[in-house]
Amino acid sequence: MKGVLIFLLCAALAPHPQTTDQPSRDTLPARQLQAITVSAQALLRDQGMQKTVLDSVALRSDVTGSLAQVLGQNSTLFIKSYGRATLSTASVRGTSPSHTQVTWNGIPINSPMLGMVDFSTIPAFFIDRVQVYHGPGATSVSSGSLGGAVTLATAQPLENGFSLQYNQGVGSFLTFDSFLRLAYTAPRWSTSTRVYGASSKNEYSYTNYRKKDFSYDEEGNVTGFTYPVEKNKNGHFRDLHILQEFQIKGTHGGLWDVRAWYARTDRGIPFLNVDYKDNQTVKNNQTEDTFRGVVQWRKLQENSKWEASAGYVYSDMLYEYMRRLGDDSWANMVHSQSNTHSFFLRTETEYHVGKWMLSGNVSLNQHLVKSMDLAVISVEGEEAVLGYQQARAEASAFVAARYRPVERLGLSLTLREDVYGKKATPPIPSFFAEFLISRKGNVLVKMSATRNYRYPTLNDLYFMPGGNPLLEPEHGLSFDGGLSFSHSGSHVSWKGSAGGFYSRISNWIVWMPTHKGFWSPQNVWLVESYGAEATGSLDVRWNSQWKTQAEGNFAWTRSLSEGKQLPYIPQFSGALTARLLWKDWTLTYDWTYYSKRLTTLDGWQNPLLHELGPYFMNDVALEKKMVLPHVILHIKAIVRNVFNEEYESVLARPMPGINYTLSLGIVPLFY
Amino acid sequence: MYANASLSYYIPGSKKMENNVFLRANGINLGDVAQSMTLYKDKAYLVVNNSGVVFVIDPQTFRLKGSITGLVSPRYIHFIDDTKAYITDLYAEKISIVDPGSLQITGSIPTPGHKSTEVMAQRDHLVFVTCWSYDNYLLVIDSRTDRIVDSLPVGHQPSQLLADAAGMLWCAVQGGVLRIDPLEKKVTLQLPVSTEGYQTYIALNGTKDTLYYMDKDLWRMPIEDKQAPSRPFLSRQGSLPYGLAADPVTSDVYISDALDYMQMGKVYRYNARGVPLDTLTTGVNPGFFCFK
Repeated sequence: MKGVLIFLLCAALAPHPQTTDQPSRDTLPARQLQAITVSAQALLRDQGMQKTVLDSVALRSDVTGSLAQVLGQNSTLFIKSYGRATLSTASVRGTSPSHTQVTWNGIPINSPMLGMVDFSTIPAFFIDRVQVYHGPGATSVSSGSLGGAVTLATAQPLENGFSLQYNQGVGSFLTFDSFLRLAYTAPRWSTSTRVYGASSKNEYSYTNYRKKDFSYDEEGNVTGFTYPVEKNKNGHFRDLHILQEFQIKGTHGGLWDVRAWYARTDRGIPFLNVDYKDNQTVKNNQTEDTFRGVVQWRKLQENSKWEASAGYVYSDMLYEYMRRLGDDSWANMVHSQSNTHSFFLRTETEYHVGKWMLSGNVSLNQHLVKSMDLAVISVEGEEAVLGYQQARAEASAFVAARYRPVERLGLSLTLREDVYGKKATPPIPSFFAEFLISRKGNVLVKMSATRNYRYPTLNDLYFMPGGNPLLEPEHGLSFDGGLSFSHSGSHVSWKGSAGGFYSRISNWIVWMPTHKGFWSPQNVWLVESYGAEATGSLDVRWNSQWKTQAEGNFAWTRSLSEGKQLPYIPQFSGALTARLLWKDWTLTYDWTYYSKRLTTLDGWQNPLLHELGPYFMNDVALEKKMVLPHVILHIKAIVRNVFNEEYESVLARPMPGINYTLSLGIVPLFY
Repeated sequence: MYANASLSYYIPGSKKMENNVFLRANGINLGDVAQSMTLYKDKAYLVVNNSGVVFVIDPQTFRLKGSITGLVSPRYIHFIDDTKAYITDLYAEKISIVDPGSLQITGSIPTPGHKSTEVMAQRDHLVFVTCWSYDNYLLVIDSRTDRIVDSLPVGHQPSQLLADAAGMLWCAVQGGVLRIDPLEKKVTLQLPVSTEGYQTYIALNGTKDTLYYMDKDLWRMPIEDKQAPSRPFLSRQGSLPYGLAADPVTSDVYISDALDYMQMGKVYRYNARGVPLDTLTTGVNPGFFCFK
């Protein structure tokens, strides 16, 4: 059985520091023992869960790509995106973005104010490993994950010595992306520095089918019209990210990691295509400074794992809506600024004995939030402050018992309890089971069930104006089941999974306009979701020079409130990536599909106004790897939206047509 | 909202609502938040707030005749005469002056200290303007000079403003309804409304001698009365309105309901005696009525 375990998990854990090749001090048997232990524990930890793992091949495919693009292409998550460098949120199985909990190296990074993560602010090159937990499996990661969870992790380079990587992308619409990584790995310590910068005017042209330029006769009658060709106004962006990591091997087998990530994003918010304003007289802009830091200690022993981490996240977000005065100065119409300080402590342990794995963790979070609009005029006609300032402590305790009574069967029972402020959610139990039907093809049947809760965000409760302190937590029941299978041969490898899910979420929190003149959240919907997901990949090595690879996913999602599909949840979505590799050349074809989306619950009654049509996206890339005496070069040309499809991902947000990127990757060889 | 504003059309008694007529007639979206519509002479002026545009349409065909642009966040349009109209704005700290003939902006009236200007009502040459968003003032503009000549504090967030048959103004503020003498520029009657922060809605009947206002239920009183009526005109059983209007000819009462704000809204129509006549389905969030 151990042979099977090692086979299944080594590939999955390869980039992880725990499996990093050790220096010569480690003996080969010790490394094997560690691999067996890690593999066996990981298998038990994930048994019965529906999970998608994104490796460095997907994450490193394009320097211009944010994590939003990678997730949209490589998983069944629906990414609702307003375009590049604009809000991109992830929805799992028909739930809302705030139902997807996201962690970075173990600390939660969902905004305590908004509850969600903007994946457009995470460069794919800053992440080394992504795991997407679908449905009940997400309760093992975090509370509040009614739809799923995404864990993001970074890793130190595997090879000892100095390493450097530089990537430069140049694209349409004056778009520039730069990435630099410097790293040094010694036997007992390592350091890595990454810098990423992106900027773009992002002023692409599009034909605006939501406006017409009419021509009139002398009596004012329409004699004809044309659709205007307009620019994407105010869509510029400038992002900077710096990530510094240290890793030190302590005494007695402990491993210390220190990570600090600073990000600044400065982004215009593009005008709607039904906006008739002039971007020379009005502009809206959002800047955000974010710092995320975490110190982590881990110790892995033959039958146990101990881990402790402390983290801090700071965010300063400023939204400005301005109008130009007569001169070059601007007057604020909205000047909304929010600051959050979040502190995290977490400790975790796992104990592996015989057929059992027992694990538990406790986390404590403290959020301090201040949200103000400084452009409000008071009733006395003077400048005033509209906003709120709140603090909230959160605690979560998690225990799990995982059992493998026989080789083919795995059972897990987990329990989580959350406390927020002075309130507590009811216990969150989850059950997982899997059974190996056939060793041939590794055919595994899985099922899981959970009862889950998500408590309101701080904006939900306290935002001024509109916050609703009377909100109740959302609560859900989720079930899923499916099959997975895989085969790895010398010439052909394939794997796949297919399954179905059902969830029922009540007290769903929705922000809605009110009679008071502003928006306010309410517990309003009972949402039932069901559907099916399938993923698959196929690798064929034809000979020593030719290889083909294909990966794809498909989702059918019904997410219904009173029998009506929720806004912006496509019923069908799919993606396919195909690669043809010949020597050092790689030709990649990416295809994505989203069925129609409704923009309101009743959109089907008025599709002309409330329906966004289906769209297919086709991207093609050609890459050449050149191995020179002292450097490896990667030259890549990408054509996106090859067929120049005109589409809107979100109502009145036109997306770019065909566009091009040329990138160069440089990896010097220091030996 | 969300760039899905629409215009619905209804012939009283036909029991058939024609939705989305602007898009159907012109083949383009109305835009993001249609705030108000005003008829002047043979044209209708649709003010689309977040889109920053006023569409001018033929009210018979709904066909576009032109548009006014160059605005920031327009809310309402008020016509002084054939050559001059005022357009209020949520953010601009000024009222735009436009020429209805050329559809060009010809000037502006600065409103220092008042970013939000809202509904306008006229008495003789004086135009009264509510300052709604986080404000509490009523501005008085001399339409001959296009300048603010006076102002008076009223209740919190004054929204609607109507002129009755006796020449008095009725102003809806958060938590109350006020009767204002426009010549004396003072409040002569206050009707407290227990809205708990909700917007107050008012309407006048066809002869403008009867006031309707929402205070959980719908209330009706003659404009000369000095106190609130003792019994409601219509029991609403806690259902909140999103708009209120009375037919200027028949005095039929129209109450709109946004339901959950995410689906098609409803309009409930009653005759002047409070007898239910119709329940109509409209576009999302029906908030403004205009009678042809």
